[in-house]
Amino acid sequence: MKSTAILGMAAVLLSASLAGCGSSPSTAPSAKSIKDITIGTLYAKSGAFATSSMPEYSGLTFWASQINKTGGVYVKALHKKVPVKIVAYNDQSSATTATTLYSQLITVNHVNILVADFGSVLTSVAVPIAQEKKMLLFDQTGTGASFFTPSNPYIVLTSLPTSGLWPTSLAQYLIHKGYSRIAIVYATNDFDQSQDQTLVSKLKAAHITPVYNNGVPTSTSSYSVLLNNMSHTNPQAVIELGYPNNDIAFLQALKASGDHFNMVFTIFPGQLPQLFVSSVGPSSINNTYTYPAPPLLTFSHVNYGLNTAQFDLAFKKATGQSTNFLSIAGYNTGLIIQKTLSTANSLNQLSLRHAVSRFSGSLSTLDGTFKIDSKGAQIGETLPVGKITTNSKGRVSVQFVTSPNS
Amino acid sequence: MLNTQLVEAGKRQRGRLLINGVIPFLVLVGFSLSPFVYANQAILFQMMAFMALAQGVNLLYGFTGYLPFGYVGFFGIGAYGMAISIQLLHFPGLLAVVMGGLLSAIIAIIFLPLLRLSGAYFAISSLAAAEVLSNVVSNSAMIHITNGPYGEQLTQSYHPVTSYVAMVIVLVLTTVTVIFIRNMPFGRALMAIREDPVSAAMAGIAVVRSRSIVWLLSALIAGLTGAIFGWHLSVFYPNTVFDLNISILAIVFTLFGGYGTVTGPVLGSIVLYGLYNAIGISDPQYFQLIYGLLIVALVLFLPGGIISLIQRRGNYVP
Amino acid sequence: MFTYSLVSGILFGIFFGFMALGLNLIFGVMEMVNLAHGDFVVLGGYVAIMALTSLHINPVVSLVIALVLFFLVGLGLFFPLIPRLSNSRDPEMLSLILFFGLSQVLEALMVIKFGVNPESLPLSVFGNSSWHFLGQSYQIAWIVTALVSLVMITLTYVFLYYTSLGRAVRAVMGNREEALASGLPVKRTSAIIFAIGIGLAAMSGVLSPLMIGSLDPTSGLGLTTIAFAIVVIGSLGNPLGSVVGGLVYGVSLMLMQTYLSSWSVLVPYLLLLIIVLVKPSGLLGKGVRHA
Repeated sequence: MKSTAILGMAAVLLSASLAGCGSSPSTAPSAKSIKDITIGTLYAKSGAFATSSMPEYSGLTFWASQINKTGGVYVKALHKKVPVKIVAYNDQSSATTATTLYSQLITVNHVNILVADFGSVLTSVAVPIAQEKKMLLFDQTGTGASFFTPSNPYIVLTSLPTSGLWPTSLAQYLIHKGYSRIAIVYATNDFDQSQDQTLVSKLKAAHITPVYNNGVPTSTSSYSVLLNNMSHTNPQAVIELGYPNNDIAFLQALKASGDHFNMVFTIFPGQLPQLFVSSVGPSSINNTYTYPAPPLLTFSHVNYGLNTAQFDLAFKKATGQSTNFLSIAGYNTGLIIQKTLSTANSLNQLSLRHAVSRFSGSLSTLDGTFKIDSKGAQIGETLPVGKITTNSKGRVSVQFVTSPNS
Repeated sequence: MLNTQLVEAGKRQRGRLLINGVIPFLVLVGFSLSPFVYANQAILFQMMAFMALAQGVNLLYGFTGYLPFGYVGFFGIGAYGMAISIQLLHFPGLLAVVMGGLLSAIIAIIFLPLLRLSGAYFAISSLAAAEVLSNVVSNSAMIHITNGPYGEQLTQSYHPVTSYVAMVIVLVLTTVTVIFIRNMPFGRALMAIREDPVSAAMAGIAVVRSRSIVWLLSALIAGLTGAIFGWHLSVFYPNTVFDLNISILAIVFTLFGGYGTVTGPVLGSIVLYGLYNAIGISDPQYFQLIYGLLIVALVLFLPGGIISLIQRRGNYVP
Repeated sequence: MFTYSLVSGILFGIFFGFMALGLNLIFGVMEMVNLAHGDFVVLGGYVAIMALTSLHINPVVSLVIALVLFFLVGLGLFFPLIPRLSNSRDPEMLSLILFFGLSQVLEALMVIKFGVNPESLPLSVFGNSSWHFLGQSYQIAWIVTALVSLVMITLTYVFLYYTSLGRAVRAVMGNREEALASGLPVKRTSAIIFAIGIGLAAMSGVLSPLMIGSLDPTSGLGLTTIAFAIVVIGSLGNPLGSVVGGLVYGVSLMLMQTYLSSWSVLVPYLLLLIIVLVKPSGLLGKGVRHA
């Protein structure tokens, strides 16, 4: 009787472990029999990155629905148009969960194209998996410099330069204005600290030493005391480098403190103006500086896909959401994939990568010029500096103080 | 008469040993064969990692009554110990994993005074300790050792198959360790301490030493698991390996299955991690709601976990 | 700079003392750590935010709403959960796990109801004037928060020391068995204190967005840890102890932000560890293992 119990338990455990893990493997489809192009990606419906990840995902799905209306994407390797199918999972902003899901997309769903989720943290775990499984990773906004190495051909950054390059124009502007008293507070994460490093070294090259330069934990949500400390150094320019939540908290504290500085700079009002208008009010971003990103930044000659105004209209009509930088970034990823498929000689991942290198530099979308270096990092798009003006109705406009390239 | 009783007892003993042996054997066979049937190794790998962590929690909570909310601290330190060994000392992967486990045990020695606390004091203080570790590792002052907020990048040592095999081995060893402790006099001494430390001490049991050994063992398990986990990822930020949800899930799996047994954490990890992958991925808040309610219900009606349903009828469960 | 940090730290500290008060009372009377404490604080915050944005109700009114509403919630939770626990084998540990489960449930419900984005109250909700003190100016929202916190702490003190119910509460805190033996209505007292504890947590939550910037459904556990640290630093069951603990926390936090900003997040955790490890006998009492 005991032994049957053991056997029963053994059977339950084994079958449970297999059932928990799902279905049997399917083999990769051969190129001839392809009925649709599957694009695998992740999005974060909850957690720290949800605000940014969801619009980016909407942008990509918008692109897919647009292209499917025209009968699909032209695939040169098949000499025909093929519908696009998106396979997507929710990683909840957790890098651990994202790992299993990227692996799921590659090993179980056998997607043709792999697209990363928003930002460096959620992209990071995909980089080694993609390299090992020899899948080209379309990295949308994962701007960590360490992802791009000469030995890894399996990654392409579609939007934004690596974060270390962002402050180039900001440093130029500060030097140009002759500000000598500059106060910087940055959140101690990969994204912000790398910007602080670049900014400080560029200022030092111009013989400017910031009067205040301190890191704070990314979870900081109260900046009042920090602001008071900064204002004691009598700065001409106050720069806060953070994630959207940090920027919101900082601008709120600034408004409450009643302090005035010649220049106040934060990163995200330029990317997510509506979020700032609704959470801290139009007056608190009025006359502050930022990196204006599309749609605040529009490019005049777009030679591929919709331009900003067309996108704005069509996107709103299709999804009911208003355009922001991340929805444009997601749509832009779609355009890069579209161009890649229409020029690559085969669906082999390395052949896709070669196709990307071939059109790099010649493609101008609503997101700017697409240009990558030999490691796959984006170098075409730059971030200018602009000054925000808002009216009482929350309408945001921007005046560029450094010249936007292209 | 006496003789037959002895023979009976001996038989029962052997029977129990056999049933106990079945568990690690199933774990070994199940996780060694399943990659051939199921392609997503990452899910299998994480299920193993959580099962090992759940056994670590089980060892500490089930045998000494300390509930470690900050268990993830050891996990993260293991991952970083491994990464530092590769980056700065240029160790090969497997040796680096061992170093990760050892570093974790060393940290556990530093935090030994936490064992002077009990109940909620211990639980919340261990959480505070994990937060301290996580923030020290990610602070820019540590940039030359841990690369601070920029995280670790170990693509040169990325070996998904080797790290998978290493995880199977650590999981099986962990399971065997729990079986040994549970069936040895040491385990019974621990149970006595858990029930009544004062009487146990009077009965001549070395209370402090016994608890310390279990503490170090459970830290070693978490450290090795974290090290292999970090190796398997090969790219991680401090937040990735010090994510508090890792502790929370390991504790939930243990409580759900049933602490103080060998089978409980195994069953809890399989069922709940399976459930997590079935519904948790698309709607994590509903998964959280379900396990939150499950915990409340377990505390009120079934404090011993689902295993106690079988035990109730007098059956022996390993 | 130092003055500003110090005064801000004191204002923060008073608020955090109030925030920890509910945890302190429940801990003192029932020997249970309400791990869902922080989640009730966050819920109070959501009450204030919802009331202001959709009904234009001033947070001052929301203070009362939150207190009453969550007093009732506390009563509703007490009877199905707590008596059953008190009769179990290991009430201290089981209650910890139960409240941990409850905290997960509340967090999940908040995500379902309010989404995951951080929400906040405008700092100008009590007007834009400021308070000048020793050559510095402080936001009026902070002053209001600190005043409300002081009033509530004082009321709780008066309740405990000058009412008959309060005396019963203190008797239960002192020795539960003796209180039972001498015929005090221990269960009813516990129920009321539990409900007051939850109500006070939610009430402090109404003011919390003004002090800590913004709230999201996952803020709860961090707040519980801070509250626990404050309760441990101060003394158990005494509302004035919460103030002491709150002040130690607030001032340390602000000085750390000023002089070592990148380490400031460690303040509550380090304080807690230092207290429990360095001075376990003096401030811990019941928390220490006797063997």
